[in-house]
Amino acid sequence: MNQKEENKFSVITTKARWVLPVALWAVLSFCSGPFLAKVEERSFFQFDLFWFYDFLGQPAGLLSWCGLFFTQFLHLPWLGALIWVLLLTLTAELTRIVFRISSKYALLTYLPAAIFTGYNMSMGYLIYLVNHPGFFFAPVLGYLWALLSVVVLRRFTKPATSLILILIWGFAGYYIAGVYGLAGVIVSAVDTAFSDRSRMGRILPAAGAVAVFILAPILFLGSTTYCLSTAWTLGIPDSIHGISLARMQLPIVIALVLLALAPVSRIFGELSDKICLRIQIASIVVLLAIPAFSWYKDRNFKTELEMIQAVEELDWEKVPKLFDQLAQDHESDPSWQPTRIMVALKDLALIKTGQEGNLGFGFDDGSMQQNTDNKVQMSMQVGWILGFHYGIPGFCQRWIYEESMLFGWSNMTFKYSTMTALLFGNTELADKYLTMLDKTIFYRKWAREQRKLNRDRSLLATTAPYDLILPLLCYDDVVLADQEGCETFIKRHFGGPSPENSTPLYDRVALYFAIKSKDPTLFWTRFFLYLESNNPHKIDRYYQEAAYLYSSIQKNGLLEALPFDDQVKDLYNSFTESASKFGPMNMEEAKMKFPANLRHTFFYYYYYVNNIKLF
Amino acid sequence: MKHCITISAILALTVSCTGIPKNTVPSDSVPSIFPDYTDVVIPANIAPLNFKIEEKGKKYVTVITGGSERAVISGQKVRIPQRKWEKIKKRGLIGIEVFVMNDKDQWISYRPTSISVSDDEIDPYISYRIIPVAVEAYQELSIRQRNLTDFDEKVVFANTMIQTNADGACINCHSYKDYSTDNMLFHVRQFKGGTVMVLDGKLHKINMKTDSTLSAGVYPSWHPTHEYIALSNNRTHQSVHSASHDKLEVLDDISDLILYDIKTNTVSVIENDSCELENYPNWSADGRKLYYVSYRYEGDYGDKRKNEMFLARETFKFNLYSKSFEPDTKTWGPARLEFDAAARDSSITWPRVSPDGRWLLACISTHGVFPLDQIVSDFIMFDLKNGTYRYVDEINSQYAESFHSWSSNGKWLMFSTRREDGVHTRLYFSHMDENGRFSKPFALPQHDPDFNREFLYAFNIPEFMKEPIHITPRQFASFISSTDAIPAKYESKRGE
Repeated sequence: MNQKEENKFSVITTKARWVLPVALWAVLSFCSGPFLAKVEERSFFQFDLFWFYDFLGQPAGLLSWCGLFFTQFLHLPWLGALIWVLLLTLTAELTRIVFRISSKYALLTYLPAAIFTGYNMSMGYLIYLVNHPGFFFAPVLGYLWALLSVVVLRRFTKPATSLILILIWGFAGYYIAGVYGLAGVIVSAVDTAFSDRSRMGRILPAAGAVAVFILAPILFLGSTTYCLSTAWTLGIPDSIHGISLARMQLPIVIALVLLALAPVSRIFGELSDKICLRIQIASIVVLLAIPAFSWYKDRNFKTELEMIQAVEELDWEKVPKLFDQLAQDHESDPSWQPTRIMVALKDLALIKTGQEGNLGFGFDDGSMQQNTDNKVQMSMQVGWILGFHYGIPGFCQRWIYEESMLFGWSNMTFKYSTMTALLFGNTELADKYLTMLDKTIFYRKWAREQRKLNRDRSLLATTAPYDLILPLLCYDDVVLADQEGCETFIKRHFGGPSPENSTPLYDRVALYFAIKSKDPTLFWTRFFLYLESNNPHKIDRYYQEAAYLYSSIQKNGLLEALPFDDQVKDLYNSFTESASKFGPMNMEEAKMKFPANLRHTFFYYYYYVNNIKLF
Repeated sequence: MKHCITISAILALTVSCTGIPKNTVPSDSVPSIFPDYTDVVIPANIAPLNFKIEEKGKKYVTVITGGSERAVISGQKVRIPQRKWEKIKKRGLIGIEVFVMNDKDQWISYRPTSISVSDDEIDPYISYRIIPVAVEAYQELSIRQRNLTDFDEKVVFANTMIQTNADGACINCHSYKDYSTDNMLFHVRQFKGGTVMVLDGKLHKINMKTDSTLSAGVYPSWHPTHEYIALSNNRTHQSVHSASHDKLEVLDDISDLILYDIKTNTVSVIENDSCELENYPNWSADGRKLYYVSYRYEGDYGDKRKNEMFLARETFKFNLYSKSFEPDTKTWGPARLEFDAAARDSSITWPRVSPDGRWLLACISTHGVFPLDQIVSDFIMFDLKNGTYRYVDEINSQYAESFHSWSSNGKWLMFSTRREDGVHTRLYFSHMDENGRFSKPFALPQHDPDFNREFLYAFNIPEFMKEPIHITPRQFASFISSTDAIPAKYESKRGE
C-alpha cells in the first residue's frame, strides 16, 4: 500500500475515532441524562477508609470501589458521560498501542467500547435489579486491568521469571479485579504465544495462566462467602430475580474475548486495500449498530425517570407537564397508556400543588405494562418516594430497608432514610445517615442543610418537603400488611377511618383517593369532611363532578343543595348525550371516540376507565 | 511564612517532649467520647477500647495510664496499640486524660476519667449473626465469631455460600451446649433447609418438623446435663407500622414447645395448647425446670386469624411460666406461672437463667413477643433464690434492649441494644457484682471507633463461647449443600 492510500485509510479512522466518542458523549449527556442520574442515585461512594477497607476485604472489591468512584460523577450526567467516553477511548487506544495494531484497523479496537456502552444503555428497567456495586464502570475498568496485565507481563521474557510473574500477577489480579484479573493473564498468555519467544517462553506463561484461571477462584473461595458457582464470574455484574447469565455476563465475556483476539491479529499481516476499506466501513457500521440496537429507548421508562427526578427536585409543576407531554405525543395512539408509576407521581405532584381537584382527571389514565421481560415492582421503583411524600414514613422506611438489603445502600436510600428519621424525630439515626452523605461530593451540601433541621426540628414545619408531609401525619399509627402493592396500600391507608385530628390537607388527599376509588359512600364521607375542614371558596371541579354524578345516580336531593357550576352541569349533559350516542365500548374505543374535554372528566373516569391494575 | 513558624514554635513549646500538652486550661467536664467507655468495668482479657473524642478541636492528645505504663496517643481517634493495652490493663485501673486544642490554640485538659479492670475474666469468644436492617429480604446473612481479646472476626457461615438467585436461604438461632462449640446448632431455612447440628464435633442436618408438630425447631435451649434440646415451634408473621418508631410488628399466630432428643432423633411435645402461644424455652441451671413465656389467645383459627392478631397486638401480654422436668424419664410437671407480667400491663420475653442458677434475666415491654422491634424493651431480673425481681435500670436505655447472654462464669452479661440510634442493634457488655448489680454497659470494642456509627448492619443473637468454632465456613457450606436433612421422629406423650 502506498503512502497516499495509507493516508486515506488513516484519515477515515482518525476522524471516526474522534467523531464517534464525541457523538456518544453528546447522546449520553443530552438524551440519557435521567438514566445516568438514576444509575448514580442508586449507587453510593464516600471518601472513608473504613468503607474502603470493607471493599478491599473481598476479591474484586477494589474493582467495585473504583466503579463506584466513577459512578458518583454521573450525578452530573455530562461529566459522568465524559469520563465514560474518555475511559472507552482509553481502552481502545491502549489496545491499539499495546498490540501494535495498525491505525488502519484501529476502529476494531473500539468494538469492546461499543459492547460496554450497549451493555449499559440496554439496561432499562434492569438498573432496578442489578445488585453489583459500581456495575456501570466496573467492566471497563476490568478491561483496562486486563490490558495492564499484558503490558506488565510482557516485560519479563525469561520463561521461569515469566511463569512466576504470571502466577503472582494472576492471583493478585483476581483479588483486585475478579474475572478481569483472570482475563489479564489469559490475554497475556495468548500475547506470548504469538510472540517470537522460545518454545518454553511460550508454553510456561500459558501453563501459568491456565493454573491461575483454575486455582485463583478456588484459592480465594476460602476467604469469601460466595458460592463456588460465582467464583469464575466475580466482578461481572449480577442481578436479583435470576436474570439470565447470557443477558448479564455474555456481553462482557465477548468484550474480553475480543481483547484476547487482539494479539492474534498479528498473523494476518498486510491485507489488500479493498479488504482494509471494507473493514473500516464494517467497523463503523458495527460500532454504530451495537449501541443503537441495544439502547433501551422506551418513552414511558424515560418519562418515569424524568418524573422521578422532578419529584427529587421537588419540582411539582414539572411532574404533570412531563406526563402531559408524553400523552400528547401519543394522542393518536389508542394502545398507549401511562404506566402506574406515571399516574401515581402525577397524582402526588398535583396533590402537592393543591391542583388535584381541578386537574386530577385531566390526564389519561391507564396501567401500561413495563416494556421489559424483567418486571420491576412499583414499590422497588417509587415505594419509598410515595410512602414518604404521603406521610407514611414506616412504609417508606420499609422499602428503603428492602432496597438497601438487596442492592446495597445508595445515595437515595440514605437521603430518604435521613428524611424519615427526621420525621420520626430520631436525631441519632438522622445523624448517622448524614455522616455518610457528608463524605460524598454531591450530597454534602444537602446533608449540611438537613443537619440544621436535625438540630432544630421546629424548622421542619416551614421547610420543603416536610411542610407538606407533617400535616399528613395526623393519624394514629396502624399496622398494615403492604404485600398487595404500593398503590393499593396507599389507597387503603387513606381509605381507612378518618383520624380524629385530621388536617385540611389530610382530608383533601383522602377525598382524592376516595374519588379515585369510585366508591360513592366513601366519597360522601370524605367530601363532607373536606368541605368542613377546608371550607373552600369554590369546590374544585372534579369534586363537583363526582358529587353531581353520584347525586344524579342516587337521587339524594343534593343536586339542588350543592352549588354546582354551570360548566359541570353542561359537561355532564354533554357526556351523557355522547355516551348514549356511542353505546357500550371498552376503554380503548372510548379514548378514540370521546373528545378531550369529555374524556378528561370524572364522568368518563367513572364509566370508562376500567380494568386498571394497581401495583 | 514567618507567622507560621512563630505559631509552630509556640505550639511546640506547649507540648512537652513526651507529647503531653503543657500549660493547659482545665475543664470541669469529662470529655465526650464514643463509644462511651468512661467509668466502665471491663474484663482483663478484652481488646483495646478504642474510642473517638467527640469534642470540637484542632488537635487531640490522649494519655492512657495503667500503673507506671502509659500510652500517649494523638489524634481524634484513639487507637490503643494491643501490646501497650495488655500492659496497661494489668494494673486494675486505667486512667484516661484527654487534651483538646481549641480554636484559640489553647490546650483544654478535660477531667480525667477511668476504667476499672475486673478480676473476672470473660469468655474469649462470642458469636452473633450479622443481619441487614430489613423486613423481608435476607440476601445476606452471616453468623460470625469474634475473638474478644483482639479484633479478629471470622465468618462461621453465610447464607450467600449456598443460596442462588432463585433459591434464598435464611440462617438463624445459633446456639451452643455449655459454651462449647463441639456441640452447637443453627437453623437453615428454605433452600437446603434443616437444623445444622454439630454433635461432638461431627456435622448433622436434622429436619425437626414432623407431621404432629407445628414447624421445625426455632428458639433453642440445650439441656445442661442431658442430650436434649428444648425448642419453640413458631409460625411467625410480620407487618409494618405506618408511622411509628416501631418499624415492625412481629408475632406468632401459633407457637408451641418441643423437646428434641439427640440420642434417639425424636421430637416430643412439651406444650401445645392450641390457645396458648408458648415461646422462648430456657432451662434452669440444673436442667430440672424449663422456663418459657406464653400468652393465651382464644381467637379463631380461620384465614383472618393473623390480621385479627395484628389488630389486637397491643393486648398480647406474655407471662413467664415454668415446668418441672425429670431428665431421666422425660416427664414434665404442670405449667406454673412464675411472673404475671400481664397484671403489670407488660409482656415478658427471652428468659435466660444465669449459669449458677440464681438469676433469671428477661426482656419486658409493653406488649408482644418480639421485643427487638419495639421502641422500648427493658431488662427485668429475677433473683430465683428469694423470688424477688427488679428492673435493671443501670443497663436499660431509652431504646430496645433485647437478646442477652450470660458469660460461662455468670459474671458478665452481653446484650443487644439499639441504644445508639434506635435502629441498628449493637452489642454491649456489663459486669455483674455479687449482689446482682450491673456496671455501666460498654460497647463491643472495635478497631475503628466509628465502626458502630458507620456499620449499617445489625448484630443479632450474641452468644458467648469458650472456644472458637473449628469447622470452617466451607465445611459447613459443603455439608449443607450436599446433605439432606434427616427427619426427626415424633415421640408421642405417654397415653397420647
